Amino acid sequence: MNKELEHSFVKQLEENQNIVHKICRLYTNDQDSHNDLFQEITIQLWRAFPKFRGDSKFSTWMYRVALNTAITLYRKSKRKINTQDFESISFKIKTEDYDDIIEQQLKLMYSAIKKLNDIDKALVFLYLEDKSYREISETLGITEVNARVKMNRAKEKLRKILNP
Amino acid sequence: MDQLDKLKKEWQNREQELPKLSYNSIYNMLLKKSSSIVKWIFIISIIELLFWIGLNFVIPEDNLKLINEMGIGDIMRYSNIVHFIIFSVFIFLFYKNYQSIQVTDTTKMLMQNILKTRKTVRYFVYYNIGMLASGLIITDIYFYSRSQKLYEIMDFASKGVPEKGFATTFIISQIIVGILVVGLLIVFYWLIYGILLKKLNKNYKELKKIDD
Repeated sequence: MNKELEHSFVKQLEENQNIVHKICRLYTNDQDSHNDLFQEITIQLWRAFPKFRGDSKFSTWMYRVALNTAITLYRKSKRKINTQDFESISFKIKTEDYDDIIEQQLKLMYSAIKKLNDIDKALVFLYLEDKSYREISETLGITEVNARVKMNRAKEKLRKILNP
Repeated sequence: MDQLDKLKKEWQNREQELPKLSYNSIYNMLLKKSSSIVKWIFIISIIELLFWIGLNFVIPEDNLKLINEMGIGDIMRYSNIVHFIIFSVFIFLFYKNYQSIQVTDTTKMLMQNILKTRKTVRYFVYYNIGMLASGLIITDIYFYSRSQKLYEIMDFASKGVPEKGFATTFIISQIIVGILVVGLLIVFYWLIYGILLKKLNKNYKELKKIDD
């Protein structure tokens, strides 16, 4: 195995690991599953790395591989639970100031996003990451117009979860 | 939706709260094995091939004797060879599919490629169930038409089995066993591949809905 390639890969992943952690947080509900998914994404990134030509940014390329792994290849372990309780929400967003109304709203919003299906979750995630609709459509393989329509529907779903 | 926009700002401000893995722990992950769905489909198909081959070695002597004396020994051997050749072609196709799946594709394309793998799996399952069922039916018909010979070879007379009604009892018990075996195989495939592909199917339908 090419040591230089390995070094370059690990270095870049180390610098950009936040992207992978954020995806793991959205797609898993506990620390063990988080670690499992992180590892699977790392393996898939490494496997695809020789084909990474550098015509896009490493981080842009990472979004695609990491999301694809979370949505398509990763088998959720039995530990996965679908319902969210406040304990697991506070695991996701650590905060000392529980009285803060905005903080509470954010927590509810976060747990609502976790209730969405895998595809809607990916859309919302890319939106939160401030990606353009063009990038979103290129990652998921849908048209830009449909990405917009779908994003609005995902927001609508969120609204319904928050205000049943 | 201002709540989502608020979260967007917070989302970007909260990066410092994320875990930080060291260079070494990331490096160690490269040495770990993948557990992706496609890989499992490939591994299970190989285990299955080995299982069917292994089964050939554990057929009791009596059965082999019966097969040979009934005059179908050669046919069984040849059909087994053909069966394993077809089996190997499937394994090759699984491997090719496994290789062609690229995580760098768009999510939709990736799913389409995996579903191609699913199609291969489906044909593989149909083939196995079909082969087993037709093999059992043909053998039963053959044995039924030569029940007299079968009665003699199995030496049922000395075991006190009356000759009258033997053929009917034999064929009915064979049919029951046949249905049970094929049923078990269907449950096995349904469990293994059904579970492996459940999530993928669900997400693919979701993504397809967007473009419809």
